[in-house]
Order: sequence, then C-alpha cells, then structure tokens
Amino acid sequence: MNAAISAEADLAAVEQVLAGDAAAFEGIVRRWQGPLINMAWRYSRDRGRAEEMAQEAFIRAWRGLAHWRREGSFSTWLFALAANVYRSELKRFPTETLPLDDAPEPSGPASQQRELEERGRYETVRRAVLALPPRYREPVVLFYFHEMDVAAAARTMGLPEGTLKARLSRARALLRQRFPYLEEMDDEHAGTEFSALKTGKEAAN
Amino acid sequence: MKPKRTIRTQQEPAGIDRTGRIEMEIDLILAAEEELMPSSGFLASVMERVQQEAAAPSPIPFPWKRAIPGILLAAGVFGWGIFELIHFGWPAPGSSTLNSLTLASPHLSPAVAASAESAGWVALALGASLLSWLLSRRLAGRGGLL
Repeated sequence: MNAAISAEADLAAVEQVLAGDAAAFEGIVRRWQGPLINMAWRYSRDRGRAEEMAQEAFIRAWRGLAHWRREGSFSTWLFALAANVYRSELKRFPTETLPLDDAPEPSGPASQQRELEERGRYETVRRAVLALPPRYREPVVLFYFHEMDVAAAARTMGLPEGTLKARLSRARALLRQRFPYLEEMDDEHAGTEFSALKTGKEAAN
Repeated sequence: MKPKRTIRTQQEPAGIDRTGRIEMEIDLILAAEEELMPSSGFLASVMERVQQEAAAPSPIPFPWKRAIPGILLAAGVFGWGIFELIHFGWPAPGSSTLNSLTLASPHLSPAVAASAESAGWVALALGASLLSWLLSRRLAGRGGLL
C-alpha cells in the first residue's frame, strides 16, 4: 500500500476509534500486523513470543490512541510504542541467548565457514545480535528492521541520529570481533544464498 | 531490503579493507531477514481483546471533590500535631518537658497517670478510626457503591 494512502487510512481509522467505533481499529491491525510481528521477531527470535509481544503492542496502542500527536506520522508513533513494549517485555522475561563470547569461535577461516554453515551461519550471526549489550542491541535490531534507515531507527528509539550511529558503530565492532572470518566465504556460494533469500523475501511480500 | 550483495560484487573497490568486507557481510546477513507472516488467528485475537477492552467499564475517577475536605482535615490535624510536638518539645527556660507534661495532672499518682495517658491514646485511635469509617461510608454511599 502506498505510504500516503496508508497514512490517510490510519488517520481516518484513529478518528473513528476515538469517536467510539472500536471495530475501526481492525484496519490498523491489518495494515501493521506484519511489521509489528517482524519487529518483535527481531527482538526475540521466537515466533510465538513475537506474536504475543505484537498483540500487547496493539493493545497499548489501542489504549493510547488519544495520546498520538498528529504532528508525527502514525507509523513512527506506533513503532516507538512497540519498541517500548518489546523492551520492557524482554526485560521482564529475557530471551534465552548465548553470551556473545560463547558464539562459535573457530580456529581458522575454513573451520569457521564449515562450522557456521553447520549451525546455520546466518542464524548464528542474527542470534549474536541478541547477545550484544542492550544499549547496542536495539540500535542494530531497529536499523536493519528499518532497512538500514538511521533516521527511522533513531526516531523509533527517541535518540539523536548521532548517538544511534555511534552505538551502531560500536555494535558492528563487537560483531566484527566475534566473527573475524565472516568475509572469507565463497562469493559464488554467498551470491546464491543471497539470491535465494532475496527471492524468498520478494515472494513473501 | 537493499541488495547488499549486489553492492559488494558490483561496486566494491579493489582496495576495500577487511573490516569493510566483514561489515558488508554483517549488513547482508542482518538485512536479508526472512519475513514472518502473521498467523491466521492473529487479527481476530487482537480484535477480541480490543472488543473486551472497549466493553469494559471505564475506570472510576478518583473523587477529588469529596476527598478534599478529608485531606484538608487530615492535613490540619497533622499540622496541629506538629505544632503541639514543637510546643511541648521546646522546654521553657528553667523547666523540663517532663515537668510541663506532668503538670497537667498533678493530683494523680504516676501509675494512674500512665494508665490514663494510655487509655487516652487508645480512645483517640478508636475515635479516629470511627470517624474514618463513617466518612468512607458516607462517601461510598453518595457514590452509589453501597
């Protein structure tokens, strides 16, 4: 859906809900359920929990609709609210993660590639993000969730862009230290993997 | 998602350093995340909760208008207590606090005076409880809760 159309539809739905039509909230849930579940998935890497967290975010949004100030976009407000909900949910019941130092640490490039492939190289790196210290974890999660848009990630976190960039940079340095041989994969093989992922993603969209 | 791999293969300068390559790889992995599709019952389950919330009675606002006299009364009593404490706690020159307190019942023996004082405190506490109970009953009755 076009962003402008979506913004108009969101505004109209919010007005209807505030006027007492609870059913109008369904349009909001329908439009934003995918992004909110995927955002929660990136925070928790647990599908069931992601849906629970997204549901909680929608309920909080329902309760707090009157607090949305119209000068910001609805999506910005919704993402910021969801990020707060996910953060506090994960603080209450943390996800089980390996400490960053316990992520696979191979002795050399060849064994690293082999080991990472065996254990699901991509998933290992993604889970390593969850093992980052909290102040670095969330910028990474939101930066990639917003398709590498620093401004959007900063708005969602309520941080200045400079602060977010600095934390992102530190997070990448930590990940780099953890996976020192990551770049030495077979380009042809990697290209195939990437194409498969990209095709899968496009098909899902 | 942005095609990081395409950037790497097509635009990567020959002299790009190892750090840059690792970061590109991290970008590739973290950006190319599979999309989760919401489960079929998700929308219905959220709307069910929303409808429950909408049907629930709105929370009763705190009855400030009715509570203000009680709060003022309590503040007055507290202030008076502080005043009395300071008044009796500050002995006049040449007399002790104990003297000023015991002067009020010079004709009673110390044992009887102690018992009377205790009984007085108990009576005061009972009176305060009774007043509080009556006040809360009255407020709740007006609010239609009783």
